[in-house]
Amino acid sequence: MIKNYLKIAFKVLLRRKFFTFISLFGISFTLVVLMVVAALFDHVFAPFPPETKLDRTLNIYWAATSHKGEFHSLTIPGYALLDRYARGLPHVEKFAIHSIPTSAISYKDGAQISSYLKTTAGDFWDIFNFNFLEGGPYSIDDVTRGNFVAVINDATRNKFFGNESALGKAIIVDDQRFRVVGVVENVPIFRVTPFADIWVPITTSKTDNYRKEMLGIQMGTLLVRSRADFPAIKEEYRSRLSRVKLEERGEDDTVTGCPETLFETFSRFLGGSIQNSVLKPPSGRLWAVMLTLMILFMVLPTINLVNINISRIRERASEIGVRKAFGATSRTLVGQFVTENVVLTLLGGLVGIVLSPVVLQLLTGSGLIKYAHFQMNYRIFFTGLLIAFFFGVFSGVYPAWKMSRLHPVEALRGRSL
Amino acid sequence: MIKHLLKMVWNRKRANILIIVEIFFSFLVLATVLITTVHYWQNYYRPLGYSIQGVWRIEMSLKSLLTSLKAGSDDSKQETEKARQLYLALQKLTEIEAFAGSSDAPYDPSVQTSSYSYRGSKLEIQTEYGCTAGFKDVLGLQLVAGRWFEPNDAALSWDPVVINQKMKEEVFGSEDPLGKNIAPEKAERERRVVGVISEYRKHGEFVSPYAFAFQRSGWSGMEGQLSGPPHYILVKVRPGTPASFEEKLMTQIQRVNKNWSFTLTPLSESRQNWLTFCLVPIVAGGIVAAFLLIMVGLGLVGVLWQNVTQRTREIGLRRSVGGTRGDIHRQVLGELVVIASVGLLLGVALAVQVPMLHLIDFISARVFSFGIVSSVGLIYVLTVLCGLYPSWMAARVEPAQALHYE
Repeated sequence: MIKNYLKIAFKVLLRRKFFTFISLFGISFTLVVLMVVAALFDHVFAPFPPETKLDRTLNIYWAATSHKGEFHSLTIPGYALLDRYARGLPHVEKFAIHSIPTSAISYKDGAQISSYLKTTAGDFWDIFNFNFLEGGPYSIDDVTRGNFVAVINDATRNKFFGNESALGKAIIVDDQRFRVVGVVENVPIFRVTPFADIWVPITTSKTDNYRKEMLGIQMGTLLVRSRADFPAIKEEYRSRLSRVKLEERGEDDTVTGCPETLFETFSRFLGGSIQNSVLKPPSGRLWAVMLTLMILFMVLPTINLVNINISRIRERASEIGVRKAFGATSRTLVGQFVTENVVLTLLGGLVGIVLSPVVLQLLTGSGLIKYAHFQMNYRIFFTGLLIAFFFGVFSGVYPAWKMSRLHPVEALRGRSL
Repeated sequence: MIKHLLKMVWNRKRANILIIVEIFFSFLVLATVLITTVHYWQNYYRPLGYSIQGVWRIEMSLKSLLTSLKAGSDDSKQETEKARQLYLALQKLTEIEAFAGSSDAPYDPSVQTSSYSYRGSKLEIQTEYGCTAGFKDVLGLQLVAGRWFEPNDAALSWDPVVINQKMKEEVFGSEDPLGKNIAPEKAERERRVVGVISEYRKHGEFVSPYAFAFQRSGWSGMEGQLSGPPHYILVKVRPGTPASFEEKLMTQIQRVNKNWSFTLTPLSESRQNWLTFCLVPIVAGGIVAAFLLIMVGLGLVGVLWQNVTQRTREIGLRRSVGGTRGDIHRQVLGELVVIASVGLLLGVALAVQVPMLHLIDFISARVFSFGIVSSVGLIYVLTVLCGLYPSWMAARVEPAQALHYE
């Protein structure tokens, strides 16, 4: 039975090549676009090395300062603020303070090498799972003692040493000499939390000033026991900060902030007033906006698919008549048309699955985004396929059912709906 | 004729409704793309208000900048002295036409705002809040009224502010802004407008003109205030300066303080990067929209083709009672135009809400109407093109053959 359906389906699809082409084009094109968007999204938000424990990681990216109770500005926390108030929060397993990447200059044979340098303190190497190509991370002990050790990425190793091993060799960055203890895979620039070219202990900074800074260039990363503890941690950090005065700015200045996920941070830029969203990032709204955009994008291909399907079935009124005259039930007829649509959708999916990696590869190769490496997101792919499938079946069942209920004589004469 | 067409379309309303919906959405997609493109296109040709010819941006490393120093401490005195030496070193280089310190630079993606208030209304306006006196000459800003900052502004008991023409229009209307205090309510010092410049679109060619203000900063040790160096140093080199000057400049300023690191970027390069960054989403959106429209076009051809095949007998009948091929052509295309009009009518009705309700303020109503009108035109062209082949097929129907089935 099914075999027969499949046979008929292929025959029909081949007979009306133009219709088949339009449907396939629509399905695969929609899937490819969905895949590219999903890959971009994953590139920023999904857990993959070094951020493998994203689901239970919180970051402190911002410090919002107020003057006499009125919102003043959104700035970046300093070491002192994080060290005093973010350390030892309940339910937190690991804690690291690390700087936002700053540009650092080195020279190699007279040519300038510009890299992004991140200074770290605390459990940085335990929270993030970097893929080490050589050596390993420096220890907490290295950080306490202020040893001049560095972890560099693959691209930096190539710049300094070509293809040779970098272990134990020295690099001079901003006039400071570091010994390379580890080489990691390149981290894409969109992984804003761990991204850098060179990682060194914070204690190698040229002055000790960072220790006194309430506002500065640091971010805090917390590895939490479980997601369920997020609200409690946010609440505790907030209440600790409510007692803090920014002395260097005067008695009236206070500071607040919120440990959050990267997605929550992004949702801040959605608009609305920043000060309101500091404590409550509108991440739900960002989801809603993204979902709406996705649905809007899929509306046209879907209508097109439905339209084509209906046309295809309507065209075959006489075929339906013949089958009915020979005793086919409505159910068999519907089954046949649905099989056709399923075959078509699967074919479209196949084309999409072949094309998407090609497009992603092109994007990766274009070098548009530093160290980018786009990957297929099969979860979204199958969701997309499922949606196409749904509309394919839906658009096949209704007209097929209507047609199958026509009187054989009417259908044989080719009467329209 | 039209009444007749309407009736024909109405009789097949179920079959036509999907085409109408499709045209409705196609119109929305096309209108969005066209409006965005025209908007950017128009902006591209507006005056920028500055020139980046031969301007280099030198970024001071964040590490030294954010080191907060208490005024009067030994560290602070040292930094101030170093910054003074930096100033002198730059002044000595004859290849430099003008230079300035600033907190921000053209084509920098960052947004810096500052609070102001005028006649009780609070304002949050994009502001360059740390530019030194040389800023105007480096970027070639054009004064419309008043004056630019001067080195001895440091001695004033209030803070001078320079605004752009757009801000003058938005805040002061036809009033003369010069000398007016626009400090926020609780501020300790007054902020008085001392000058108006013609235009300053920091974010480059693609953004619409917006209100912008400048606040001055001294260069430590030279013009009072602030310890430490500025975030950016903007340098305008004389025309014809050889490229090798870059190295000379960098060694000269590096010599002043080993603890600072400097990164030099020609503004033409930041412009290139920023414009690429702005263009990528537009181009990507355009490509997706183009594919969507191709898909819709192909789909329409398919559906119409099927419609025609199905109505062979009806067409044959018409031919046999004297309808010419032209008549059939006109009927098929006419019906299509009617269907398209219904979809477009709905689309336009929705689209005009946006400018009428001021949902998107930064795009002018003229751009909107242009985008809507041209999308309507293009959709008509697209549908008629899609209808040509099916209508040709319909016109070819031989009456005898068609009636043969009856």
